Amino acid sequence: MFAKSNVPPWVVLKFGGTSVSQKHRWDTIGRLMRERAEQDQAGVLVVVSALSGITNQLQSLIDHADNEAYLADTLLSIVNRHTTFANELHVPLKALDTRFSELKALIADSRRMTRAYDWQAEVLSQGELLSSALGVAYLKIQQMPVAWLDARQWLQAVRVPNQGEWASRLSVSCEYQGSDDWRERFNGNAKLLITQGFIARALDGKTAILGRGGSDTSAAYFGALLRAKRVEIWTDVPGMFSANPRAVPDARLLTQLEYQEAQEIATTGAKVLHPRCIHPCRDLSVPLWIRDTERPEMPGTCISQSSEKHPGVKAISTRNGIVLLSMESVGMWQQVGFLADLFNCFKAHALSVDMISTSETNVTVSLDPSDNLMSSNVLDALCNDLSQYCRVKVITPCSAVTLVGQGMRSMLDQLTDIWAEFGRERVHLISQSSNDLNLTFVVDDTIAQDMLPKLHELLIESGAMPVEESSVFGPSWQDIAFEKKPPVSHWWQRHIPRLTQIAQQGTPAYVYHLPSVAAQAEKIKKITALDCRFYAIKANAQPDILKVLQQHCFGFECVSVAELEHVLKIFPTLAKERLLFTPSFATKADYMAARKLAHWITVDSLYPLQHWPELFSNQPLVLRIDPGYGLGHHSHVKTGGADAKFGLAVEDIAKFVAQAKAINARIEVLHAHVGSGVKENSHWAQLFAQLASYADDMGTVKAINLGGGLSVPYKDQEHEFDIEGLAQALLDAKAQWPHYAVWMEPGRFMVAQSGVLLTQVSQVVSKMGVHRVGLDAGMNALMRPALYESKHRIVNISRQSATTNKHFDVVGPICESTDVLAKHILLPADTQEADVMLIDTAGAYGFVMANQYNKRALPREVIIDV
Amino acid sequence: MSDYVFNRESIRSFHFIDCQFNAQSGVATLQYAFDNGPVFAEQITFPGAPFVLDNVKQQALTHALQTLHLIAGVSYYKAAVPETIVIDHYTIDADTADFLTSIYENGLGEFAYRNNLSLRGKIKFPYIPSSGSLSHLLPEREGKTNASTLGLNNHALVAIGGGKDSLVSIESLRRMNIPQTVTWIGSAPLIRSCAERTGLPLLNITRQLAPEMFAMNKQGALNGHIPVTAINSAILTVAALLANANQVVFSNERSASYGSLIEGTGEVNHQWSKSWDFEQNFAKHVQRFIASDLYYYSLLRPFSELAVARQFAKTDFYDAHFSSCNRNFHILGERPAQRWCGVCPKCHFVFLALAPFMPKPRLMAIFGRNLLDEPEQTAGFDALLEFQDHKPFECVGEGIESRAAMAALAKSPSWREDFIVRRFAQEILPQLDNQDLAIAPLLIPDNEHAIPASLWESLRASFGA
Repeated sequence: MFAKSNVPPWVVLKFGGTSVSQKHRWDTIGRLMRERAEQDQAGVLVVVSALSGITNQLQSLIDHADNEAYLADTLLSIVNRHTTFANELHVPLKALDTRFSELKALIADSRRMTRAYDWQAEVLSQGELLSSALGVAYLKIQQMPVAWLDARQWLQAVRVPNQGEWASRLSVSCEYQGSDDWRERFNGNAKLLITQGFIARALDGKTAILGRGGSDTSAAYFGALLRAKRVEIWTDVPGMFSANPRAVPDARLLTQLEYQEAQEIATTGAKVLHPRCIHPCRDLSVPLWIRDTERPEMPGTCISQSSEKHPGVKAISTRNGIVLLSMESVGMWQQVGFLADLFNCFKAHALSVDMISTSETNVTVSLDPSDNLMSSNVLDALCNDLSQYCRVKVITPCSAVTLVGQGMRSMLDQLTDIWAEFGRERVHLISQSSNDLNLTFVVDDTIAQDMLPKLHELLIESGAMPVEESSVFGPSWQDIAFEKKPPVSHWWQRHIPRLTQIAQQGTPAYVYHLPSVAAQAEKIKKITALDCRFYAIKANAQPDILKVLQQHCFGFECVSVAELEHVLKIFPTLAKERLLFTPSFATKADYMAARKLAHWITVDSLYPLQHWPELFSNQPLVLRIDPGYGLGHHSHVKTGGADAKFGLAVEDIAKFVAQAKAINARIEVLHAHVGSGVKENSHWAQLFAQLASYADDMGTVKAINLGGGLSVPYKDQEHEFDIEGLAQALLDAKAQWPHYAVWMEPGRFMVAQSGVLLTQVSQVVSKMGVHRVGLDAGMNALMRPALYESKHRIVNISRQSATTNKHFDVVGPICESTDVLAKHILLPADTQEADVMLIDTAGAYGFVMANQYNKRALPREVIIDV
Repeated sequence: MSDYVFNRESIRSFHFIDCQFNAQSGVATLQYAFDNGPVFAEQITFPGAPFVLDNVKQQALTHALQTLHLIAGVSYYKAAVPETIVIDHYTIDADTADFLTSIYENGLGEFAYRNNLSLRGKIKFPYIPSSGSLSHLLPEREGKTNASTLGLNNHALVAIGGGKDSLVSIESLRRMNIPQTVTWIGSAPLIRSCAERTGLPLLNITRQLAPEMFAMNKQGALNGHIPVTAINSAILTVAALLANANQVVFSNERSASYGSLIEGTGEVNHQWSKSWDFEQNFAKHVQRFIASDLYYYSLLRPFSELAVARQFAKTDFYDAHFSSCNRNFHILGERPAQRWCGVCPKCHFVFLALAPFMPKPRLMAIFGRNLLDEPEQTAGFDALLEFQDHKPFECVGEGIESRAAMAALAKSPSWREDFIVRRFAQEILPQLDNQDLAIAPLLIPDNEHAIPASLWESLRASFGA
């Protein structure tokens, strides 16, 4: 529309530091330039950053401008880096001669002494000037007709109101409307061009720097000026995601976004794209496309004004380092100018307010993180000024958790679970913008990161984030980043006829596959740092399973006397040292009985030592400590922190040690267990370090028992626990404290996947649009869904080949509204009465928790040993 | 080694067998035994081998190695604390024996208390009276009060621990243009990360305890605190000779001399080997027996914790890397919660000590949470303030420092509304004498220190600025 019809359009490609620092990536750049020129029939302008790390080195030249030795060293290092890379590219060094001599001249320049801003800009510009010169020389060797373009002749800084001297040189904005005249001149250039990001022409005609997000912004300016067909930002990541992939592995690639959405996501946390660079493209409707240099086959994220609207939450992001100011005052609200007085204080200290909430006696505002807040006393000064008008409390560190997407207002009803999740935490401020694009919760910094995976999951489950919309949502980060594994094969898939037969003999029935138990035991063997392992039999006490584990050198952890007796009935000659008694709120009689059966007795409060000292004097003790925090897949399985009944509080350790000493009991083992379904393998190393440091203070400790809690994949997308990672983390940790033996006591991990629950369909019913499959087993046979909202895979094994194409809730026969085994899962549409349904991953906390509520019989237990 | 038999009750003597240094491999071997039992050995590996040593240097190294042998033996001696100590292949004089007795008695004070032992007066190192000097070790010492001068380079080996203190020393030495090598023992990732952050030459020494130690532990060896700073000092002394460096620099403050008392003993300094007492004696021993131009000192000795905290706050370069927490200490993670447990006395104290000297948001970025606005931390801070008979039992600053820091926060507009600060202002402050609450007097350095005169004025000036 703007370009004259006979002039080919432009495509702008931008490549960052890591992309221009490797030879093979320059080959990619060359290939992409040729492809774009051909496929788009376009001129191609490539904008490059400096080699990675160079801009920091140039900045350090400025920071150490008075240190001659440092300058000489760093200059040499910069020259060497480029020389080495030039040699690798087989580029003659004379291509860099001009650049090197300019850099040396800048070091000799008298402006260095005053660190003049124009001098700083010239120093900083050298990185891009060097990398672009290298690239042009290299591609020319490949016979490509590329030309070098000096960005400073084409990007012109503009004057911005209230701009200081520093900003007008080192953080400039540029003109991006352009004129036909400008474009006509530009079209006189070669059709394959390489230019510099980050730099532009200052108002005085000398060099200026764009500042943060510089190279992306350069590309956006060029795109807008050229009315380009599109701007492609080539980076090291596949694009923008529905959440930070490092915190949420299930985060989905966003393949298509509106400018406004992208702007919100970029502003509220995502670091892929600097928010500055969206505006010029948006103004001139130039599509902005984020691509991954290492994964050019990926679709990336395309930011444009699409005709089709896709309401829904697109992303959840967090920004940390938020400072809230809560300003309390009584009776001031009605006074004219009160808020103006307050905001004048902010203005006087050059602090910008982001979010605001008000009530009758309180105004709370958020300040975005800024260098100023971190490095000066401006916050104190501000609070001091504000205290003329009100009482000020600084609430920090906080994080803002923001949901971004079009049509937020109409989705509030779908966000019930999200609100509930925030309801568990301290929310300091909530803000919903009237552009209908975002909803923000400000919470304590420590919890925000940990909440993200759960919130993301809830958004998907509630339908608020419509991930099935394939034109917007791409694959998840874990699917992209980790090698795609073949679909996991489950042992039961090889035993369908046998399982069907078992089901016909009566359901509900638990079926355990012993080879799977043995396989898990082999995995534990890989943890070479482990000196002793106990199986927590509360997970599943079936005798054949215990025998397999006993053969794999497991001892047994029992939580009641009856469990101890159960083990000893199966292994009458088992050594006492292989039994560990870890009760909760046990009676004196329990301890008396257990003392006779097990060598290792765990105590987790002062009470037993104080009230029944005779049971513990002259005896070894295992002390269970509450490390002060809990982890796990559900609040009911977190076993640490003030809310948990387990473990001795850290602050009571000294008292406990004194009491143990007084009655001559030896604390030989320290134990902690903070929850189930823990996925981060660094956790156990951390726990080991924590317990070992307590142990160092005691002097009597010989072993550290890290408990269990290793996660098990229940759902299709979940990954197997990274046992190698755990093995390495423990080895590293043990290297620091080689004098303590390491124990663990896995339960669920050993048996969960080896067991399934077979049931049969009783009825299939539709009610008010909800389809339900009824089973002959419910919360009486498997408590976990009702107790922990656990999600088990449910498969109709009578219709294995059928496609799962209809959503059902799966319910049991118990007269309780919580008797729901699964909600909204896909099953074959023709599921019917008497079909055999398999509930997977039921080997742990299945039969052991089964009960006879409603006078229903207990399930059967069946063993498969092949 | 796994069949090592250890029967604590029957052990009568602890033998310092011998020590060797292999200049080709850089491995020092320290041998010990109980009674006539099998010899077990600790190995310490010094990077940079092979080392070339002339005669004079070799002699100094022999003495440094013996000093290390004698001090590091404490780890094994304590397993059984037998009544007799034997040094098999070399001898020491009476002064050295006294010096060692003081290290063992004081350094094992907390250990003895925890294990219900009484060691004072019972640890006797065998020595040759210097008047009759039969010592084959020290023939050249007749009439001399000091060891030879080795012509070591002006270079410091600085011990780094990952906390604020050693980083303050390192930056101070850098400012004073003292060439330095950042040195640590063991494989803690957090220390490595801090060390790398300095951008200075690094020296990572590895120490491998005798593997028999594990067998002993299983068979009832006594366990507990040992004077680890004394051992590390001896290791760094050997390293300094190998590196031709004339300074071994530690970062112990004034408060370490008074240390913290162990609950119930009334006398045991938990961190005795960080004290001025130890520093003086060790430095003297080095000068007399190892090299007269090798200086062992703590660069922070004259300063209070608050003075060091203020100095640390002057640069944010290490904010995301350091940790003084003893609990989360050895595991590295990028989130603050992985470096700071937030509930131990060290976390409480360092938080409080830094707060008056840096913008609040910066402190929040370091710790990831505001400990002073968490009501459940009240008791922990009360202990630092020594309020209501609480006392801290870890290596933290003095009560007067904590009270002064808290009083400063009570005046700060950005802190005064936080729960614990507010409670202090309302409940504790009225009971305190205003005169004792100023920070400025606490920032004045002491005169008790062994910092080389050539550095002292410049160091004092930079702390004063």
